[in-house]
Amino acid sequence: MSASIIESARADGRRLLTEIEAKQVLEDAGVSVSPARLARTADEAAQVAGSLGYPVVLKVVSPQITHKSDVGGVELNLASADGVRAAFGRIVASAKQHQPDATIDGVAVQRMEPAGIEVIVGMTKDAQFGPVLMFGLGGVLVEVLKDVAFRVVPIDQRDARQMIHEIKGYPLLEGYRGQEPADVAALEQLLLTVSTFVEQHPEVAELDLNPVFAYKDGSVAVDARIVLGT
Amino acid sequence: MPPDRLRRALNPASAVVVGSKKADGYMWLRNYSTFTGSLASVQIDESEIAGIAALGITNYRSLLDVPGDIDYVMLAVPRPVAPRVLADCAKKGVGAVALFTSGFAETGEDEGIRLEEELLRIAREGDVALIGPNCMGVYNRKLGIRQSAEQAAGEAGEVGFISQSGTHAINFGLVGEQHGVRVSTSVSIGNAIVVDVPDYLDYLADDADTRVIAMYIEGVKDGRRFVRSLRRATSMKPVVVWKGGVTTAGARATASHTGSLATSPAIFSAILRQAGAIAADSLEDTIDVVKALLYAKPATGGRMGLMAMTGGQSVVITDAFVGAGLQVPRLSAGSYEQLRSFFNIIGGSYQNPLDMGGTIGFGGSAATLEKLFAILDADPNIDGVAMEMASGFLARRWQADPSALDGLLDALVGHQQRSAKPFVTILQPQHVEDIVAQARRRMQDRGLAVFASFDRAARALARAIAYWRFRAGDE
Repeated sequence: MSASIIESARADGRRLLTEIEAKQVLEDAGVSVSPARLARTADEAAQVAGSLGYPVVLKVVSPQITHKSDVGGVELNLASADGVRAAFGRIVASAKQHQPDATIDGVAVQRMEPAGIEVIVGMTKDAQFGPVLMFGLGGVLVEVLKDVAFRVVPIDQRDARQMIHEIKGYPLLEGYRGQEPADVAALEQLLLTVSTFVEQHPEVAELDLNPVFAYKDGSVAVDARIVLGT
Repeated sequence: MPPDRLRRALNPASAVVVGSKKADGYMWLRNYSTFTGSLASVQIDESEIAGIAALGITNYRSLLDVPGDIDYVMLAVPRPVAPRVLADCAKKGVGAVALFTSGFAETGEDEGIRLEEELLRIAREGDVALIGPNCMGVYNRKLGIRQSAEQAAGEAGEVGFISQSGTHAINFGLVGEQHGVRVSTSVSIGNAIVVDVPDYLDYLADDADTRVIAMYIEGVKDGRRFVRSLRRATSMKPVVVWKGGVTTAGARATASHTGSLATSPAIFSAILRQAGAIAADSLEDTIDVVKALLYAKPATGGRMGLMAMTGGQSVVITDAFVGAGLQVPRLSAGSYEQLRSFFNIIGGSYQNPLDMGGTIGFGGSAATLEKLFAILDADPNIDGVAMEMASGFLARRWQADPSALDGLLDALVGHQQRSAKPFVTILQPQHVEDIVAQARRRMQDRGLAVFASFDRAARALARAIAYWRFRAGDE
């Protein structure tokens, strides 16, 4: 499945996988993701939403649009079939208005996952050392404070544990002020799974799971991005 | 590079200096004056030959005229001639060539780059282990082959050093020697176009004389290979990595110095941790960590028992050790019971830290000091001991009466020998630097780990402990 997704993206001359494709590839690799499915019409979107279970999230799918929120391409917490149909119309209209030349394939429908502690897992390639994994807490801690940990691929159990423990925000994962603690063992496993995936897929140049919701039991990648190498 | 090739290069029985000249005081021949093997010179300039003969060295007009095998050649000829002499070395079948000459790819200019490519081709085709170019070659303390005539020669040292800078290689040898850190084999690697960091690392990891490896690097050429060699080495002995060019401006300087590609400092330090290597950030820092690895016993616990002579010192020594990530816990009930029976709490205290000056007569009462050592050694809450020496008060006394320090040192050495826990001492230069330098040497000569500040002792020991934890699979 993964191989055919990557091949077909290449055949289309695309380096960026769609979110739907990226999640499919990662799910095949054993990463817990919130699956997204393509809906080309409002009715199809409502049907997919019904099969996934409400509430759902809709995101515009277009090879030309990378920052979906900026074009009004994301609608959260939709609780009914009517709500989904209406949101589909708004998303397509808004995306066309912001970016008239974009091809719009439809929308991705996914479950609205319950909020957890937001973490980020990423991979970039260093010119000297090859693929490097990154782990951090989501939002401001990564963007402003650069509170992240790195390791080169492949990592082992100890590396995974250290990556999680060495970020300054680690106490947040232990359950800060009554918040439920995160399942650190599941996050370690996630890092190990991503490391193995990266090792087995040298054609992947960049990868981002952002955010991943970490829960008391397990975790789920809510958004995913994969860029192929040239 | 096959290991036996490098072994021959770094342990030569015969050496030749090509291009030694009066203008630099025959530097290379003088650097090799302590060489235990056979030494010859190659020089075609008539005006230089008399000076070489005066040094008692046989000179030849061509490398090919030198009789017998040559294990090691120091090549110090002008840049345009270097490829031709290197070709002679290949023809002669020499073990290794260290090329002192600079002005190759590191200049960034076309001619330099072209000449470096030519050197590389000649070395590859002729199977010559080329060290450098743009380097100070090898320092092997046991064989008396040196990078500077000031470096010591004699017994084998215990620390291997790999350096992308000739200056830092020389200084590591010279400054280390002042701190009880003696070099086994050190290599100034220069542009490292043939023999590179991973080759030297593999060699030093296998070298029986080398207990600890340290290096100064500005960048690596093949990151994956570097990491493989680093992991292998750290599984055998500690490796300390001092990385230059960790700021943007520093990285720019790196590019013009050795032409190294920059990896982000955050990624590089993560790689070191992942590989179990120890990061250091200066010459002094590198020597400090090496000292802790050589002289303090290996331990995986970080709970310190701290001993200081006065109140103010006992406060700041505690801050330093906690600041370095170690712990300063309360002692066991049994220890407190014993301490209560004799510890002088007027102007002192024994919570941990032990503010003990009054109790031990500022070192005058060695028997009492030994009791304190015995208590800390037996205390199950304590993994290691650090002691402040009150050099500001005592150094003049030690100078006036050397036996005063000897008595104190007997107690320290006795503790170090009996105890399986790491022991470090802090001897601050204060206002008596010159006297303290002598005292430090006397302490080092007796096998003690001596540091110039609390902070330096704490940071060095904390990293040594982190390494031993890594080796134990703990961290």
